[in-house]
Amino acid sequence: MNIHTYEKLWLIAAMVLIVGFIATITYGSVGLGITMVGDQQDTVEPTELDDERFSDPRVAQVGENEYEAYVTAQMFSFQPDPIEVPEDSEVTFYVTSRDVIHSFSLVGTNVNTMVIPGEVAEMTVEFDEPQDYGVVCNEYCGPNHHNMEGMVHVVPEDEFDLTELDAEAPDEVETGDDIDVTATVENRLLDPIETTVTLEIGNETVSEDVTIDGGETDETTFTVDSAQLGEGDHEWTVTVDEHTDSWTVTVVDELEDGDADDDADDESNENTDAGDDTDGGENGTEDETDTDETESDASGGDDE
Amino acid sequence: MTNTYIESFPAEAKVVRAAFYSSFLALAIGGLFGIIQTLHRTGYYRFMDSADYYTVLTAHGVLLAITFTIFFLVGVFTWATTTSLDRPVEDIRFTWAWYGLMVLGTVLTAIPIFAGFTDSEMSASVLFTFYAPLQGHPLFYFGLVLFVVGTWLAGVDWFRSWWAWKQEHPDERIPLPTFMVLTTTLMWYIATLGVAAAILLFLLPWSLGLVESVNPLLTRTLFWFFGHPVVYFWLMPAYMMWYVLLPKISGGKLFSDPLARVVFVLFLILSVPTGIHHQYLDPGIAEGFKFIAMTNTMFLLLPSLLTAFTVVASMEHGARQRGGTGYLGWLKALPWRDPVFAGMALAGLMFAAAGFSGMINAGMNINYLVHNTFWVVGHFHLTVGTAVALTFMAVTYWFLPQVTGKALWSRSVALGQVVLWFVGMTFMSNAMHRGGLLGIPRRTAEPQYEGFEFEAAVGSVGELDAQIALGGALLTLSLVLFFANVVGTALNSRSDDLPANEYADTLSGPSDAPLVLDNLKLWTAIAIVLVIFAYSFPLLSIIERGGLFGPELTELPVSIGLGLEYLWVTTVSTVTAAGETAITIIAGVSS
Amino acid sequence: MRISKGALLIVIAFIAPLIVELRTVLAWVNVELTLLESAVLGIGLIGVILVWALWPQEGTSESAG
Repeated sequence: MNIHTYEKLWLIAAMVLIVGFIATITYGSVGLGITMVGDQQDTVEPTELDDERFSDPRVAQVGENEYEAYVTAQMFSFQPDPIEVPEDSEVTFYVTSRDVIHSFSLVGTNVNTMVIPGEVAEMTVEFDEPQDYGVVCNEYCGPNHHNMEGMVHVVPEDEFDLTELDAEAPDEVETGDDIDVTATVENRLLDPIETTVTLEIGNETVSEDVTIDGGETDETTFTVDSAQLGEGDHEWTVTVDEHTDSWTVTVVDELEDGDADDDADDESNENTDAGDDTDGGENGTEDETDTDETESDASGGDDE
Repeated sequence: MTNTYIESFPAEAKVVRAAFYSSFLALAIGGLFGIIQTLHRTGYYRFMDSADYYTVLTAHGVLLAITFTIFFLVGVFTWATTTSLDRPVEDIRFTWAWYGLMVLGTVLTAIPIFAGFTDSEMSASVLFTFYAPLQGHPLFYFGLVLFVVGTWLAGVDWFRSWWAWKQEHPDERIPLPTFMVLTTTLMWYIATLGVAAAILLFLLPWSLGLVESVNPLLTRTLFWFFGHPVVYFWLMPAYMMWYVLLPKISGGKLFSDPLARVVFVLFLILSVPTGIHHQYLDPGIAEGFKFIAMTNTMFLLLPSLLTAFTVVASMEHGARQRGGTGYLGWLKALPWRDPVFAGMALAGLMFAAAGFSGMINAGMNINYLVHNTFWVVGHFHLTVGTAVALTFMAVTYWFLPQVTGKALWSRSVALGQVVLWFVGMTFMSNAMHRGGLLGIPRRTAEPQYEGFEFEAAVGSVGELDAQIALGGALLTLSLVLFFANVVGTALNSRSDDLPANEYADTLSGPSDAPLVLDNLKLWTAIAIVLVIFAYSFPLLSIIERGGLFGPELTELPVSIGLGLEYLWVTTVSTVTAAGETAITIIAGVSS
Repeated sequence: MRISKGALLIVIAFIAPLIVELRTVLAWVNVELTLLESAVLGIGLIGVILVWALWPQEGTSESAG
């Protein structure tokens, strides 16, 4: 075959270019450790997602400065949202979909993966400085695709915790009974935390310092005298660091059975009857069916 | 008496003309949808609900990426085989049959897409990639199948011509244009196996309710088995024009016939085993498979780089024949006044830029930064949207006289049109690339979010939007000029003073090319072996992991029962409603 | 005319990508052009090219110089 000299030179230059490209990419993988999203994870059932990672999408600490984030994508949101991680941390994201193909992409970074139902994308990311990143779904997933967004907050070390707060108190008590407000505080970090549990009810504020070991759960119970609050609705708030949980307790003259609720409403302005000591304070159920454990969730635990 | 194509092959000229007009119709509708999207995305003018954006986007993608390009391709390839073999098609009825099948397929596919604008239950707003579990109406998949079968039969037609020719010319080399047609067709046969499997085995039965579920990663992988080589299917007719027409228009000869054959053989072998590079970020495919796809992709740069050399060398040869001198001074001697030449040269220039952004996409780990961002949209508006589309429009100015026997309506308008396309695409594509680097996603109706904003490195996002809208407006204007020329030419009367139907001679002819280059069986076998290497293990692994029919899925939007009566009713109501919608849209645009 | 009208048109069209990309390139060396400045630069460049192209070549016209 007759190939012109210039064409030969061009051919050689082209081959050098191609081999050079492959070499740089290989260096990026081997030398810099930029690994690809691959097949490391087993498949899952997208309509169930009942394993312990995705039944409760969250951030978990697995080592010093090492975290895992279990994220689900569904039409048209991400869970959890926002995702909060500390600065100078190494976070491994596990992302899967409950329905169609989505993506999980941190705007302005190279953190980017497809999210395919049945498959789990695994991606390890190093975060340095505190910064807020937007998360977009960049694969068309349905008519509201453009509204699918989330946030990743990289926060300063001292502002970061993995504390779960859940506070409970009865809905209704009779005047004179004690109101027990129980704050359940879980420390999902590996290290112990020292913090303060604070209850605000009416004009009263009570607090208690607690130390919770890593992975442990602490229960603090505050007892408040309903007589001091007086009859009526009283909002209470439990605060641990930035986490709050609040609901309302109603102090009534006399607890009545089931169908008398309407009367109780009408009579809420009657005088207090301090001597009555009927034990009605424990009608709050204690079951923990609340699966939607978004942090600083404000729903009253025992309302249902 | 002239020596145009229509004089030599009057019957074939009709088919080629019909194919071109079909492709232009798709270009017109697709282009209209393009400007609607441009204005909607950037927020300059939104007259429809954002959910309808995706219906517009589906139509834009299918009509331009499939219908426009492939109808033009079958026209060019039919011209190329008949002209270079110097023989009519074997049976003109067969030729019309595959053309008719392609038209029917397009119409059947378009019905459910356009039904997406109506209240009917029928819809196929699943975009050009139709990733499951998003589900389109069965008619959408069925129409695509018919269309692809039409292209297969077109390939049979070209092969028949070649076989018949070979009987009469047993010792001759395959003429270069026919060689290009045959290698491209073989590549297409291998490539379309992927989409045929995806649709016939999985998506169509699933949309009909015959199977419960599909494996989304499997159908997606099969789509990209086809989805990358289809890119070369669009590109090959453009390459052919650069090889066989551009040197002629430049006033010279093709630099090297053997190297042209090498390039097309490389495309035959390397086009298919690369599709996984669209899935670099897919979970469930091992890194090793991605690396293999990347290596193949990088070697695919070789034929394009060789083409760049040959095209420029051929142009220089032409310029020197025309009296050009000097290191770069010869550039001045090229026929820039000729829209056919200027359009192809500008398209080639843009393709060089597209090559650079393509190398970024191909880089496995650099791809993280740009995958599914607006960057990618910028990239393929340079490739299919300019290298291919602008070349097609430019050569249309040469082909129209050939297939109609009428002189071009206006060469000046034509020159303005190709230049306008170049400038418009410069603005639009540059802003898309830059937007992608900021993380702005592709395929979204409103890339404006509540919780955060994109931070521009240079200028602002608002400026990028303005640049996109400006580019889109220029491109639309360019399209209007193009159609004015097509219509104006059709209305012209027959002319006796037209250029002859000829293509470029070669400096280094086929006798310099080793015989083995013409051994199509060998290259096809190598291509198949490479496909098996690149795909069998990934496919097996995907099936092993997720099952042939995948996990339980929720079908979206709905599964549609298929009574004949129901089909009839929806079809009729859809056609009428689609007409109304089209009028509304046109009214909306002009208001 | 130093170049043909067709070539002049192409050269002017080619200014578009140059100006558009120039902005990004200059930002690398910390020169930030505004939109207006780029537009003015582009029009200026086109003006220079026009003058160069339309200026009668020496020897072909008496009015030169």
